[in-house]
Amino acid sequence: MENYKFIEGLTSDVMFEAYGKNLEELFKNSALALSSVICDVKNVKKERSFSVDLKGSSTEDLMVNWLQEIIALVDTEEIFFSRFDITEISENNLKAKIYGEPISPEKAGVVVKGVTYYKLKIEKIRNNYKATISLDI
Amino acid sequence: MKEKIQKINDYEWLLPKTAQEKMNVDAKIFANKAILDLIEDSAVGQLTNVACLPGIIEPVIGLPDMHFGYGLPMGAVSAFDSKEGVISAGLCGFDINCGINSIRTNLTFKEVNEKLKELVPALFNAIPCGVGSKGKLRLGYDELDNVMTHGLNWAVENGYGTKRDIEKTEENGCMPGADPSKVSDLAKKRGLPQLGTLGAGNHFLEIQKVSDIFDKEYAKKLGIVDKDQVLIMLHCGSRGLGHQIATDYLKIQERAVKKYNIWLPDRQLACAPVNSEEGQDYYKAMKCAVNYSFTNRLVMTQWIRETFERVFKKSWEDMDMQTVYAICHNVVKLDKIKGREYYVHRKGATRAFPELPVIVAGTMGTASYICKGTELALEKTFGSSCHGSGRAMSRNAALRQFRGEKVNDELRQKGIIGKAGNWKSFAEEAPGCYKDVEQVVDSVHNAGISLKVVRMKPLGVLKG
Repeated sequence: MENYKFIEGLTSDVMFEAYGKNLEELFKNSALALSSVICDVKNVKKERSFSVDLKGSSTEDLMVNWLQEIIALVDTEEIFFSRFDITEISENNLKAKIYGEPISPEKAGVVVKGVTYYKLKIEKIRNNYKATISLDI
Repeated sequence: MKEKIQKINDYEWLLPKTAQEKMNVDAKIFANKAILDLIEDSAVGQLTNVACLPGIIEPVIGLPDMHFGYGLPMGAVSAFDSKEGVISAGLCGFDINCGINSIRTNLTFKEVNEKLKELVPALFNAIPCGVGSKGKLRLGYDELDNVMTHGLNWAVENGYGTKRDIEKTEENGCMPGADPSKVSDLAKKRGLPQLGTLGAGNHFLEIQKVSDIFDKEYAKKLGIVDKDQVLIMLHCGSRGLGHQIATDYLKIQERAVKKYNIWLPDRQLACAPVNSEEGQDYYKAMKCAVNYSFTNRLVMTQWIRETFERVFKKSWEDMDMQTVYAICHNVVKLDKIKGREYYVHRKGATRAFPELPVIVAGTMGTASYICKGTELALEKTFGSSCHGSGRAMSRNAALRQFRGEKVNDELRQKGIIGKAGNWKSFAEEAPGCYKDVEQVVDSVHNAGISLKVVRMKPLGVLKG
């Protein structure tokens, strides 16, 4: 199974589906999809790490908070991220260690302005999870 | 949904409130037939969703650059009763006061064209663009509060621009009533390093040449007198600060929707009653982003002037590099229209008050326009017009269809010099991704909501 794929649905913005066998994989792959829009994720080194500790009122809310946290960290820490290790996760709680390197024009993608609620969905299909997420560019 | 549209005339189309069960008011689309045919059915459906909100004033407006967005289309205007309506973070969008500054010069096409290969890279070095760039200004928190509260007054006091720039900016470059205490620490932290940065996506800096003057008298008032005159257009917004304010208040207003028992057809249309804490706090925080964004554009305008000084060896005043006008695209304002006050939400839309300039951005390969607002716009569109040509193709589809290097080659063949942080953004922003700006402007001109004044062609383009 692929980790994520970009899908049609928004004219000006970007929408993707991320997949995972469990919530841990789903959140990791969603973060990778987001990061692949922001930077050349495959070539970003894991030089610096940050700890993330988040809560959410539901799995969807937790996902928005998670992706939003990454977007904000790119701005405040000026880091591109390429590795996301989820250390603890439940429907309302997430702890992770994320890795990346300082921003540079050579590895830049585009600015993601926000994670929208548009068609936001997390589904459990048989034993797999699928998240549908749209980003404002 | 489009099958429910009824023709009013060649440029106005009615979507009656019977189109969807819970619509409180009609919606109207301003477009010629060619443009109407390009508008997605789903975008029309989004107008009907907005028409369901409480306190909405008839009609919800779709402009010719409208395209499917999240929650509501880009290129849409919705006005709400100042007592019974709502204020919506969702209807304003993530990039608060994304907008345009138009700057004139007295330089001719020939003078600039000779130096274009030097000028475009020099501007690229002077203006931090793209997600990988770092800003040159580093503010402290107190100073950031001053930017958010005082907007262009802070800029001018700190050596960026002059009082003339203030006079030529919507709201005189400062929406009164901005309250930094309503802005989260995270939003401020994101805003600190980004003042004076262009961003990416559809944000750009463009060198243009006047190609047509339709209204000589009005153009002269703007300081545009010659067909070969060179202008500059700067398009960007409130950066991470505005994005975070929008994100924060979407969550706050989502809770408000439950608290005040508001029925929403789409979660992205989060809102709160105008006089609620959640409504007014957003309004005060949004104004902070508006003022930050005005300042962001003027700071960069000053760096553009300094770059021209280095390249052309003249002072910017001698090159008459004055602001023609600076306008907002994504904003909520308490506008007084025909004696009544409304909270007007413009998303991907420009104010078009009588005799005030309206700036319409084309693509990096096509023309842009300066128009002027009209009385008819006050009557029909809450004093609003289009903001650009409007996307017709998704970013995903654009990446499949275009290659950035090839787009750049095609621009070069047209005499346009382009420079971008990375080629991907050239592909995503290829002229072929957008509607035909000529048809869009034809629509607003013939609908009478803003009239053509000047047409400009691109010479040099910088993308984030």
